Amino acid sequence: MNIAASILEIAVIGLGIAVMLADLWLPREKKIWLGYAAAAGLALILFGSFSMSGNPATLAFGDMYILDAFALFFKRFFLIAAILVMIVSIEYSPKFQTGKGEYFTLVLFALAGMMFSASANHFALLFVSMELMTITFYVLTSFLRNQLLSLEAGIKYLILGALSSGFLVYGIALVYGTTSTMDFATLREKSALMTDNPLLLVGLLMIIGGLGFKIAAFPFQFWAPDVYQGSPSSTTAFLAVGSKAAGFALLMRLLFVAVPEITLQWEKLLMVIAGITILYGNLCALPQRNLKRLLGYSSIANAGYLMMGIAAMSASGSTAILYYLYSYMFTVIAAFLIIILVMKHTGAEDIVHLAKLHERAPGLAGVMTLSMVSLAGIPPLAGFFGKFLLFEAVIEQATVQSSYYLLAAVAIVGVVISLYYYFGVIRTIYWGKQQMIPEDIQISPASKAALWVCSVVIIYLGIMPERLMQAATAAVESLKF
Amino acid sequence: MSGAFILAWMVLLLPLVSTVLISCFTLKNDKLSARISIGAVLAGFVMSLLIFLSAREAGESNITWISIGNFQATLGVKLDNLSALMLLIVTGVGSLIHWYSQGYMKGDRSYSRYFACLSLFTFSMLGIVLASNFMQMFIFWELVGVSSYLLIGFWYERPAAADASKKAFLTNRIGDFGFILGIIMVWAATGSLNFAELKGVFEANPEILGATAGIVGVLLFCGAVGKSAQFPLHVWLPDAMEGPTPVSALIHAATMVAAGVFMLCRIFFLLSPDALQVIAWTGGITALMAAVIALQQNDIKRILAYSTLSQLGYMVMAVGVHAPGAAMFHLTTHAFFKAMLFLGAGSVIHALHHEQDIWKMGGLKEKMPATYKTFLIGTLALCGVPPLSGFFSKDGILAAAADFRHHGNVFLFAIGVLAAVLTTLYMARLVLVAFHGKHRSEAADHSHESPSVMTGPLWILVIPTLFAGFLPIESAVNHVAGLNHAGDHTQAPLAMAFSVLALLIGGSVAWSLYSKAESDPIANRLHGLSTALKNRLYFDEIFNGLIYVTHEAVSKLAEWIDRILLSSFIVKGLSNVVDVFGRGLRLFQTGSIHTYAFLFVVGIALVMFFVMGGVL
Repeated sequence: MNIAASILEIAVIGLGIAVMLADLWLPREKKIWLGYAAAAGLALILFGSFSMSGNPATLAFGDMYILDAFALFFKRFFLIAAILVMIVSIEYSPKFQTGKGEYFTLVLFALAGMMFSASANHFALLFVSMELMTITFYVLTSFLRNQLLSLEAGIKYLILGALSSGFLVYGIALVYGTTSTMDFATLREKSALMTDNPLLLVGLLMIIGGLGFKIAAFPFQFWAPDVYQGSPSSTTAFLAVGSKAAGFALLMRLLFVAVPEITLQWEKLLMVIAGITILYGNLCALPQRNLKRLLGYSSIANAGYLMMGIAAMSASGSTAILYYLYSYMFTVIAAFLIIILVMKHTGAEDIVHLAKLHERAPGLAGVMTLSMVSLAGIPPLAGFFGKFLLFEAVIEQATVQSSYYLLAAVAIVGVVISLYYYFGVIRTIYWGKQQMIPEDIQISPASKAALWVCSVVIIYLGIMPERLMQAATAAVESLKF
Repeated sequence: MSGAFILAWMVLLLPLVSTVLISCFTLKNDKLSARISIGAVLAGFVMSLLIFLSAREAGESNITWISIGNFQATLGVKLDNLSALMLLIVTGVGSLIHWYSQGYMKGDRSYSRYFACLSLFTFSMLGIVLASNFMQMFIFWELVGVSSYLLIGFWYERPAAADASKKAFLTNRIGDFGFILGIIMVWAATGSLNFAELKGVFEANPEILGATAGIVGVLLFCGAVGKSAQFPLHVWLPDAMEGPTPVSALIHAATMVAAGVFMLCRIFFLLSPDALQVIAWTGGITALMAAVIALQQNDIKRILAYSTLSQLGYMVMAVGVHAPGAAMFHLTTHAFFKAMLFLGAGSVIHALHHEQDIWKMGGLKEKMPATYKTFLIGTLALCGVPPLSGFFSKDGILAAAADFRHHGNVFLFAIGVLAAVLTTLYMARLVLVAFHGKHRSEAADHSHESPSVMTGPLWILVIPTLFAGFLPIESAVNHVAGLNHAGDHTQAPLAMAFSVLALLIGGSVAWSLYSKAESDPIANRLHGLSTALKNRLYFDEIFNGLIYVTHEAVSKLAEWIDRILLSSFIVKGLSNVVDVFGRGLRLFQTGSIHTYAFLFVVGIALVMFFVMGGVL
């Protein structure tokens, strides 16, 4: 057994246990320091991850666990996301009456689940890592124990999550039953010989359904808006960024490493899912007045854009996904952090609360504008370049199979629709009518730093995409296209 | 990367650093801002001198900015005779004008902003000069447009200045639109934007552009028509004189307007014979027309502005008759003496408390001896008196036009000579009226010489004005442009004879008309024509009318399309449809967990049904 390969996850779990233990002794008013300590610890682990290399790939735990460039790329992604989410959580934590320390610990455990999922090379690890992440999220979503909405969100996520896990396990059982293997490498060989075995196909579709639930792709997305709206904002941010990315990491490895031959038959299915998800998310977002719900639908739409990269079934498509996830992470976390800062004391997160934000906090208004503009995909920001890469990947395929043009057209329609609601937010910020006495806004240094980082990265990735592109291209090489 | 390239990068980046420093930190500290800005450009000049003198080999150093698929956007510095010469002009003249500005702008409340803009302009201009590819050139091309906009409109509270800056920017944009179309066509045909690569491609296959060669050439020339203010886009340059006078000297005489000519020399290899014909005639027409208009202008800066237009026409014409070397030669000498003339005019204007009408000056010869002497030397150089620099460079152009066996043309040559006569005439008029005779106003009576911070640069500029004519610029540039029959025009006796003749005629006519004149004698004799000339041949009015009429028509049409077609049918219709969809879809989102679980299972069932049924 090669435990050293999973040193990063072990470190994260160790950090989680340390935070949990420290929580026992720390007096109540100092619990917030646990969050800072966790963030600092994660930063150290992230730093340490740069001494590792996924080339050549290392296998561990009876080949269940693989550490390759792809896995390492995602692990770093999750670590960065978790650091930012930790800062968001600290900002949000005054709303938790009890259990701040637990919250920070659970974020770390969810992170460990995500990091394991990036390395899953076997259905057992795929399932276990997903459950580690999902079960932790059941708690995180219902963490505002005295708020009905949050409890409702938790229950919904729990029941629908359990349902999807049920399908996932069922699917895994069918795949195992037909191929008698759960190992991706073996499955790659065996599945190539049985591409028309109906039981295997049904099993795989169920697994895709289970993963589709995680990434909130149509038709498995119904939970997303309710859960996004009801959960604590810090959880929503992590759900939107981390959970979705983990779903994509698993989906990419499953489709392109484990069963590539079967995936090739499914280009239409993937295109249809991508197209409908884009339209569904964007159309539903139009009439929304609640900011978190709007971001919930926007996250569905973004799952659709990302699915385009999967549907392209090419190295460039996957590279685009990896790039897009980064741009999405920084914009969305910035947006959620601002929501928390501006709406600390209001119950509901209505867009109108942002009215005249530029007079109260011009900096926040600027960052929010930046992140909305980036989400809408306007150059020269990160979101634009991510979308550009996805479109490029799809159009590349269109030279072979012309129905890809249709997908690109649908996606463009989606982008145009999305302009309306993203700019609606900006319009409210600068020209909206203030309806209540504004709260004064205080920003902690950590949040300020996080916002700076997010804005700089949003601009940097739009102007100098080279570095991240190279990393993503190198990571995708381990998917063996 | 060899030393010369490191220096070139530094020359390019120093003014940018200066802009950032001034705008971010030292806006409140006028003295420091000026020092930073002057330091940046002076250091640039010293480094440019080193680059110019070093035994450099032609080449470029590129960094990749964006690479998408097989498209690479690079930023680079390209060093050869052409760019080294331009570097020297831009930083050299630039340094003097920065220095002079300290005196001229003294006490302005936006002193720091002025120097920040000046540094931004220097950066942009150097970016064009050093550009190794079309994309970079276009980016800096636009940056020059922006910084020129900022500087012309520097006194933005004056409506005339604000209007002039808008006019300059928009007129330039029209030309730039053609320029970028040309660039795109070049890219589409060859797949490359790099000048060195393009040159290789064109040497291997001169016919690569096929039938579009002429169109591409003319489109690219559009960029130069805008920046170098050629007919019919020349209208912005005279108005641009609303900016501070040092700006007029730097941007609208020595550097920015030279960018168009420089660009044509840079891309000379891809201009087809047809395109060159268009270029030659545009240049010729501009040279003559501007010289005619200059005859009846009374504002000292506007006379110089029209004179600049006319000289730019000469340069463009030189490119058109296959003599880019002569064009660059004239560009160089002109940069020096025209900058000097503008700075001299600035000195006069400064001394007369912003009086610019030459008929209200007079007799400044005694009051401002230093300004007078340098101004006179500049005028003589501009008129082409041997052996000043202007004589040689103008002679080079006339000789190229007179080279009837190759690419010359007898009509273009005639235009050139005629414009030379007129040049002498209007410049002599300017000097005689403004500096000789009696004081015609109180301001002129009370004027006194400008401080040494302003006269210093004038005296320094005298040196190149006297001697730049002896530099072997023409052959060096022709070599870069790929022409080898260089430099043999200069001995053309025909051109030289006509050039001297033009000088004599123009000079004597001016002396007889203006040496004792109290008001303009030809204004009365020519009535109608004179009024037309005073009104700049009504170009602005014509353009206004044309723009108004077409604008009205287009906007009526657009309004119709917008209101009937787009607004009612498409936008309202579409948005209603979208809205209905949005609201309809919400019905699924009941909030009930039963529904969600049911829909989830239905979703999986549907996916299976379609996939296994072979639909997807």
